Amino acid sequence: MNHQIDGIAQIAGRLNDEMHLAADRRIWQQINEGLLAQAPNEACVFVLTRPSRGVIRTTVILGEILWPMPGEVKATPRRLDISAEYISRVLDSATDAGPSVGICLVHTHPRSESGEGVAEFSPRDDWYEQRLFPTLIVGRQNSIAASIVLGSSGDVNARAWWQSNGGVLTQNVHAVRIVGPELTIIETPSSCWTDHPDPLVMDRSTRLWGKEGRRRLQNLRAGFVGCGGTGSISIFAVATMGVGKILAWDKDIAAAQNRHRTAGITKDYVGKPKVVALKALAESVATAEPFEMKCWQDWGTTTEGLNRLKDCDIIFCCVDKLAPRVPLNDLAYAHLIPTFDMSSWIHFDGNKQVDALMTHAHVWSPGIPCAWCRETLSSRILIQEAQGNQRNIEDRAPYGMPINETDGVEPSVLPLNMLGVSLALMQFMQVALKIADRTPRDLKFFLPNWELDESDRTTRPDCECISSIGAGDTFIIRPVTMD
Amino acid sequence: MEPSSELQDAVRELSELSGHLFCISPRPVTGTSLFVVHTEDQSFRPEYTMQSGVFGFRVPFNFPDAGPEDSFFIRPVEIKLRSPDPVRGSIELHRAAKVDGFVAESALGNVPVLIFSWHLWNKIPWNRRKHKLLDHYTHCIRRFELPEHDS
Repeated sequence: MNHQIDGIAQIAGRLNDEMHLAADRRIWQQINEGLLAQAPNEACVFVLTRPSRGVIRTTVILGEILWPMPGEVKATPRRLDISAEYISRVLDSATDAGPSVGICLVHTHPRSESGEGVAEFSPRDDWYEQRLFPTLIVGRQNSIAASIVLGSSGDVNARAWWQSNGGVLTQNVHAVRIVGPELTIIETPSSCWTDHPDPLVMDRSTRLWGKEGRRRLQNLRAGFVGCGGTGSISIFAVATMGVGKILAWDKDIAAAQNRHRTAGITKDYVGKPKVVALKALAESVATAEPFEMKCWQDWGTTTEGLNRLKDCDIIFCCVDKLAPRVPLNDLAYAHLIPTFDMSSWIHFDGNKQVDALMTHAHVWSPGIPCAWCRETLSSRILIQEAQGNQRNIEDRAPYGMPINETDGVEPSVLPLNMLGVSLALMQFMQVALKIADRTPRDLKFFLPNWELDESDRTTRPDCECISSIGAGDTFIIRPVTMD
Repeated sequence: MEPSSELQDAVRELSELSGHLFCISPRPVTGTSLFVVHTEDQSFRPEYTMQSGVFGFRVPFNFPDAGPEDSFFIRPVEIKLRSPDPVRGSIELHRAAKVDGFVAESALGNVPVLIFSWHLWNKIPWNRRKHKLLDHYTHCIRRFELPEHDS
């Protein structure tokens, strides 16, 4: 729909099916606290943005906050005047930050004597932004700009702005994702979320997380990379819990020997892609309505897979190798998509007796140490994996020891995998529905101690899980395939 | 599996920066996801019976997320010391070991090589956004040129 205001057309465009804004929780809090503290006056601030372009969803990620200097903004309860100096300074900052970096204008509608301030773009907002945004985006075709209005009750409205064929287009934002140790999703007036048509089906779980939690699960899009021992159980569980949209990847064909530890692989599915078996299972148990599952018989960490994962609100990392964890860990922080990593491990002593086993679940999300901080990932560990059946050859060969050949197949049992998945699902409930005060770091259960341990590793100050937060497509993520 | 374009570019850059022509194996070493990167014209220490030969190392397919192995190799395997080292009284390169299957599928063929193994990246860990193959090569050469025995 085109609005005609004072002779200037605001042209509604369509950058993608879904449009989101996302912000690291700390940045969102700083913006809100800084602006709302100036009530009853309106207030505004410019924030740099970076794009995260998925297949059906584009997200504009908020980054550095560029607060106005004294005198750069004149504010009253009903009006803002932004100086040319402030705009010029912001344009310089965006230019310095790179061609994909855009600009977001955030302003408030504070509470006044006439009541709560509502997050609606006023005709004056429209008029002003139609004049402002062509200036902010001219010559910056790779960037996406945005404008946000904050109401006084926590309500939010937003729209994206971009340049296309010389014109300036805008699209309403459907939701704002606030991402830290937990995920908060604020729906805008353009939200396309729907409620479950038969809430009684979800009665027992709704008693824990309420109607809002049920609505969130119904509309959440969860990605699953790997549909084997942990992935199959995870998909079964979240489909049962009421998650409405699932994307899943696995390149493997189901074998008879997968059946004893993988959900959904009946005899009929032996010889068929695992994802096909999982889709049938998920559709048979799903409680969300509508429910949609899309699957690909491919690695989830190809270039295309990583692009599709940007459409997800959360991701379950259910791979059995370390190498694909690298791009998934990167994606979690750079694109603000909380990811649940899980794996199990069984160790033998010299007599081929099990002397230790472990399963773990780790949330990768801003505010929680990443896989590199936790040392689940390191260059040395990745090298060892790449060494395959020559593992640790550099330690053995110089001493005349033979290459330690293995067939690369490790034991795997359902109870251990289920325990790891259960830990990840508890973390999922916390991240998506905030059932407790705090999201844990890496959780690890291990034998022979029968102990559940939370990692005490902290975030390394020089780690990319800090510097890459919200970097979106400006952060290079390398695809990984294991062919 | 072929080496990624990023890895091939890194090998080209290594050749330019080191002054040695390095090449990369078209396929990973059998049973691994490691590619062999080697040059034919590396100068060896004057104490060796050969003045130059093959020098190389192995790099994971997911370079630079993972750095090169903490080792390097030389050929031919018949290289000895010109005179016995003063500690062992031997002309064998006791720092290195002859290994088969280490460079299978490389342009060298499945030939034995002498592997030198050290902790090259234990003090400053490999940084995937910062370090280059030249940094690894420099590490290797620095250790290679140390005396046969740390006295």
